Amino acid sequence: MKKILVLALSLFMVTAFSGCSSTSSNDSGGDDGNEKVTLRFAWWGGQPRHDYTTKVIEMYEKENPNVNIEPEFANWDDYWKKLAPQAAANQLPDIIQMDMAYLSQYGEKGQLEDLTPYLENGTIDTSNIPENNISGGKIKDHLYGLPAGMNVLSVISNDQLLKDAGIEINSQTWTWEDYEKVALQLQEKLGIYGSNGMHPPDVFFPYYLRTQGERFYKEDGTGLAYTDDQLFVDYFERQLRLINGKASPTPDEQAQIKGMEDDFIVKGATGFTWNWSNQYLAFSQLTEAPLTINLPPEQEKESALFLKPSMLFSIPKSSKVKEEAAKFIDYFVNNIEANKIIKGERGVPVSTEVSDAIKSELNESETKIVEYVEAAAQHASEADPPDPIGSAEVMKALKDVSDQILFKQIKPEEGAKKFRDQANEILGRNK
Amino acid sequence: MKSRAFKDNLSGYAFISPFIIGFTAFTVVPMLISLYLSFTNYDLFTTPKWIGLANYKEMFFGDEKFWKSLSVTFYYVLAGVPLRLMFALFVAMLLNQSRKGIGIYRVLFYLPSIIGGSVAVAIMWRNIFGNDGVINALLFFMGIDKKILWYQDPTSALWTLILLAVWQFGSSMLIFLAGLKNIPPTFYEAASVDGASAAHKFFKITLPLLSPIIFFNLVMQTISAFMTFTPAYIISKGEGGPLDGTLLYPLYLFQKAFNFFQMGYASAMAWVMLIIVGLTTLILFKTSSLWVYYESKED
Repeated sequence: MKKILVLALSLFMVTAFSGCSSTSSNDSGGDDGNEKVTLRFAWWGGQPRHDYTTKVIEMYEKENPNVNIEPEFANWDDYWKKLAPQAAANQLPDIIQMDMAYLSQYGEKGQLEDLTPYLENGTIDTSNIPENNISGGKIKDHLYGLPAGMNVLSVISNDQLLKDAGIEINSQTWTWEDYEKVALQLQEKLGIYGSNGMHPPDVFFPYYLRTQGERFYKEDGTGLAYTDDQLFVDYFERQLRLINGKASPTPDEQAQIKGMEDDFIVKGATGFTWNWSNQYLAFSQLTEAPLTINLPPEQEKESALFLKPSMLFSIPKSSKVKEEAAKFIDYFVNNIEANKIIKGERGVPVSTEVSDAIKSELNESETKIVEYVEAAAQHASEADPPDPIGSAEVMKALKDVSDQILFKQIKPEEGAKKFRDQANEILGRNK
Repeated sequence: MKSRAFKDNLSGYAFISPFIIGFTAFTVVPMLISLYLSFTNYDLFTTPKWIGLANYKEMFFGDEKFWKSLSVTFYYVLAGVPLRLMFALFVAMLLNQSRKGIGIYRVLFYLPSIIGGSVAVAIMWRNIFGNDGVINALLFFMGIDKKILWYQDPTSALWTLILLAVWQFGSSMLIFLAGLKNIPPTFYEAASVDGASAAHKFFKITLPLLSPIIFFNLVMQTISAFMTFTPAYIISKGEGGPLDGTLLYPLYLFQKAFNFFQMGYASAMAWVMLIIVGLTTLILFKTSSLWVYYESKED
């Protein structure tokens, strides 16, 4: 009896523990078109993006019956926390939606495939994509990600509130002083915020530096590029003045925002909000009052604006179906029918043919974004190179220091020094 | 005879082998790997580089946030654990009565602990203390018009976490309840005859007789409080903010590992935490002889 028990148990153990290793049979191969291929496609975003991306996937699967695409989506924060352990385990999805902030981290550490061969052999058709729109994904001649769309920084305004307050701006030429004055006026006349908190600081402080002819990161990523801490002080003193004048929300009020639905601009609680151009669409859908998309202050003199890939598509080195992954990226970027569904939600399409073809399909707000990006592009200068390795930590340090300043725990001068020390220590590891 | 014993033992080994294998594969080996990694510079992507004690040196002498997260954690443990135990004991004594339907109450009070450290509870907590949450609505009805930003304010944010921990008092409460039931009612009867007050009975009978249980709960709750992660992660959206007010040690460790790609440093942090928890437990055990009363010792 005992013998049988032992035997049964060991049999159970053998089957239980060997089960893990026998599932990976149909992962390999898949280039000949008939074999079943499974592609894992990961992206971050909100519900509307998930909805249309799912539709595009369905279209692609219908045209390529041998391909099965498994979506893996999350919000921004969770996305990156999930991707890191996947990379450590060599289990990255076959197509990764990538951001400029992480491109170096993943690219230079050997996680991503250079896409250049797929461009050369035509798997990804770039005949209608200007070189400028591709170069954003390049690090030292390696194309680690193909831009999915282009974005420009913008200031979105609530026209109704501006009219009520009797305020007019000339967004072509307005200065930082104008911006501050307008924001304070909105508070005085309507008792609302003039602007959102320019949150997060790692997007808007570098833009401020550009308007002063300076840059945030050194070209080689080994330190901060700007040398004068007075710039940091000026930027944060303006933020403080706006907060003290109740023309900008404090960081704790800013922290309440859970999603775009309860953003200040949507609730009519602010006249202006700083954002990327592709965000305008969601905001204009959610807000009752008409919104305008404006150029940010002082973009003109130094050509401070730049075109930034809103996001990129990368293929990991560990993928076993790179060719198929590249085909899907090609479809996503070049297929006109697909882009009639995408409608530039991931930024203005990189392919000029696609962006021309979908224009007739766009509604008023979507058209405004395309027009805005086209107008801004004429005056934009070169974008900064992809954020260096360690930028996630630098961004966090900047946010911490910014919070300490805006909660009035430290003075901007002290914050400037503190941030410089921290950033240089983090980036110093890249030397 | 010998082979007989071996055969007897064999089935024993077979039965415990799932645990042995699991323990080795998922606890011992990862711990050893983490010990090795703590002496390396490891970014998750490339091969670890041996750097000796550099991680530990950086932690103790160069990392402000390490100390900040330690102090937040100690605050959380020192405030949260005693409050939780007191509350658990209080409720256990209320429930240690034979009234109609007391079973239902016991279940209801235990419920928050069953759903324990889950994400759902943390999200619910975030909403309760949110800007438009229940707490602020209650305050509004009580005539306090100003909305309080509970978890966005650096001082109150940690207290929302502590309150959450106190609220999940069920498991310690259940153990207390069992302990209370073990105290012979004759003791109380005798004390009543001698004219002892309720407070007297509590301090002279209940507490001493319950002290081994209190000790057990204290040790278990302290260890688990040191490891609290989920609520802090969810409520602060993984930031530990505002102003690092909710940056519990495990959360900072997680940030180092998965946001900043410093797995070696995070491993070193994990070992420091192990030592801290070990020392704390040791201190608790050492001091226990002063206040824990074991009946059996008198035999």
